[in-house]
Amino acid sequence: MADVNGNGLSGSPSMLLDGYDASRVYDEVFDADGAVRGAYSRIVERFSELDAAELQRLGELVADEFRRQGITFTVYSEDEGTERIWPMDLFPRLIAAAEWEELARGLAQRVTALNCFLSDLYSGEAAVLADGLVPRWLAVSSRGFERNAVGITVPHGAHCNIAGIDVVRGASGRYQVLEDNLRNPSGISYVAENRAAMAKVCSWLFEDHTVQPTEQYGQMLRSTLESMAPGGADHARLVVLTPGIFNSAYFEHAFLARSMGVELVEGRDLVVEDHTVYSRTIEGLVKVDVIYRRIDDDFLDPVAFRPDSSLGVPGLLGALRAGTVTVCNALGNGVADDKAVYPYVPDLIRYYLGAEPIIDNVTTYTMWDEEQRAEALGRLHELVAKPVGESGGYGVLIGPHASEQELQAARAAITAEPREWIVQELVQLSTLPALAEDRLEPRHLDLRPFVLTAERTEVFPGGLTRVAMRRGSLIVNSSQGGGSKDTWVLAPESP
Amino acid sequence: MEPRREAGGRTCFRRLAAVRLSISYRMHFRYSEAVSESQNEVRVRPRSDERQQVLSYRLSSLPELSVLSVIDYWGTCVEHLGIRTPHTELELLAEAAVETEPSPAMEVAPAPQSLADEDFRSEHYEYLAPSMHVCWEPGDAVAGLAEVAVADAVSVPEMVTGVVAEVRSALRYQQGSTDIGVTLPELLAGGAGVCQDFAHLAAGMLRSTGVPTRYVSGYLFALDEAAPDAGDADSLDGAPEDAVSVQTHAWIEAAIPGWGWWALDPTNGGEVGERHVVIGCGRDYGDVPPVRGVFAGSGTSEVVSEVVIGRQADDGPENPASASARPRPVRVVPQNANRRDQQSAQQQ
Repeated sequence: MADVNGNGLSGSPSMLLDGYDASRVYDEVFDADGAVRGAYSRIVERFSELDAAELQRLGELVADEFRRQGITFTVYSEDEGTERIWPMDLFPRLIAAAEWEELARGLAQRVTALNCFLSDLYSGEAAVLADGLVPRWLAVSSRGFERNAVGITVPHGAHCNIAGIDVVRGASGRYQVLEDNLRNPSGISYVAENRAAMAKVCSWLFEDHTVQPTEQYGQMLRSTLESMAPGGADHARLVVLTPGIFNSAYFEHAFLARSMGVELVEGRDLVVEDHTVYSRTIEGLVKVDVIYRRIDDDFLDPVAFRPDSSLGVPGLLGALRAGTVTVCNALGNGVADDKAVYPYVPDLIRYYLGAEPIIDNVTTYTMWDEEQRAEALGRLHELVAKPVGESGGYGVLIGPHASEQELQAARAAITAEPREWIVQELVQLSTLPALAEDRLEPRHLDLRPFVLTAERTEVFPGGLTRVAMRRGSLIVNSSQGGGSKDTWVLAPESP
Repeated sequence: MEPRREAGGRTCFRRLAAVRLSISYRMHFRYSEAVSESQNEVRVRPRSDERQQVLSYRLSSLPELSVLSVIDYWGTCVEHLGIRTPHTELELLAEAAVETEPSPAMEVAPAPQSLADEDFRSEHYEYLAPSMHVCWEPGDAVAGLAEVAVADAVSVPEMVTGVVAEVRSALRYQQGSTDIGVTLPELLAGGAGVCQDFAHLAAGMLRSTGVPTRYVSGYLFALDEAAPDAGDADSLDGAPEDAVSVQTHAWIEAAIPGWGWWALDPTNGGEVGERHVVIGCGRDYGDVPPVRGVFAGSGTSEVVSEVVIGRQADDGPENPASASARPRPVRVVPQNANRRDQQSAQQQ
């Protein structure tokens, strides 16, 4: 059914949605015929009542809110002022209850298998390598493989307590995992702040829906981390360890400490005595049981790792080896979120859990396999090349958007160091309407749900939706100019 | 016991019997100003393996500290100790009694092509790849020299001996000639080094030709690590009669397909025998440093260290009265070290 403006959208779209073209990729709001997908009918109606000026005004209110509270992020790559106000687009992303339930099961399954893998590797047995599932050379050549982690006891075998799994939806609308983040995934604070700002500025939007809340994250995280205490959760003393105010995610570190009601510390606030970690407080030294650290492995202990690091705690490795403290996430998770190991994750799920993966990987070519490399390099102009050691979208080459020179340079780099690259099929990320000047236009997005593990694995409802704010762009990272959206997981009773 | 030793002790020592060595390793840290904290890991305890047995071991410290002892990824015993009260000095003393045997003779001669086996390479990947102190690139001086050294080798053991001989002609042993940060090309250009340089260069050259090679940290019972058989004419096998003051030593082990690890000492060109006591092994020095630590304070630090090794009577450590087995106090060898040097202390 075509509307009067002839833009192919059904319902009663406002001026804001004039010319909205949902036919090119999977749009989460409108199907290819322009009909509104069920979950979004009320939201589309609500936005139809707005005009561009009103939407811009609301957007400014949100930005003011973020500015007042200092909700920012840092861009390292630009010369100019690197602190930016967190960008959020007002059109929310909705996930229906059944759809979420399936996705959450898939995420829990994946993180469970990744934890089994880490536990296997670092227990010293490494059956997975002996069985040839993952080549030994590949695992031990990972920069994230931390030999000092071998032999450290990790309660419940839960090496990754906080995972951020990036999922995308391609042309079919099916969810696929694009990337695992098992070391220090950030973004959860923005999930909470996005919701708080939306609830404040656009409370009327929530009236038609039962949306799963986000404010319980601190509670959930706290109980997860307390279960990781060496002596059990009772009376576990927990701290959040930050590199300090110059870190791009400092805002989040402060948020996490505050929402859990625990101390935010820097390395110099902690000391090790008799292989036990203590926090310096005004009441004197207090034993610490669990450290939620947001600093990299290499910086944790200058005795064992980088001697020039002043961020860490001298002697911490000894305390870990003594089993008097737990560091979360555990040491050495980088081997499991190494992009070169990613292609093996579906097999890890089959190996450890004896089950088929609920969520697939994006089709990926391993560059150290000569046949796959030849195929991938031959059609690199259609594919995406990623350096295995980078994150945040840095160094990614998107074939269709690359010049011949860039393609040549990438081919040469991949051939020279095949271990350092993976090549993936290009996923035409799904789209959602986002405000572009005076209208809503389709913008590509992904989703980073957060998965918490101690005795069991739980998926926090929703996650961080990141959206590429430039038309056609597939790079959603905030460090690369991406924005965000509030993400609503609808309660089961909702339509 | 006694008559047997009198009758054939030396012969046994040379030919077949295990040798008992007592080792005492003393590390004395001194700070120009009181430091409020220091944290250290030490890797000085000999390991037990097919060729050597640790009979006793003890690490003590002054002031007295609690020691946490664990086995690391490489199989080496690492001991953690820290002190959080202001101090101007810290003394550590490791004492070990070890029984060692000669290395078994090399009995196989797999062809160089056997190194190409994919499983063999994957299994030993860590000892084939460049590492922090063993860095080379295809076509550089290190790889070039290695290629020459193995050109005529028809077996893997010949490749290994060829490289060791080449290292010995490329480097002259000279105490104090290098620092821990030296690169392999710099070593070759300088033409001189100490035991760990010989071991690193040999490892790099062997790895570049596809022979998995690991770095071994340990002790050598000899007056002169570069010429262990010199200077003690009384001893049939060249080993000193009395306890000697030395530093820790380093050598290599190469993986021989179908056989296992073959130990060789590039510093003196010899096979590794009863007088070599292994602490542990890794990719290079960085995986098995005898001491690594940091301290909090503004002053400078100095670490004075000394290893004393002596032969122990056959009745071993159960008989502390065996005076000849006691290490004799010998002069100390001062070495200046700041925080960075603390990591590299004890190696020559």
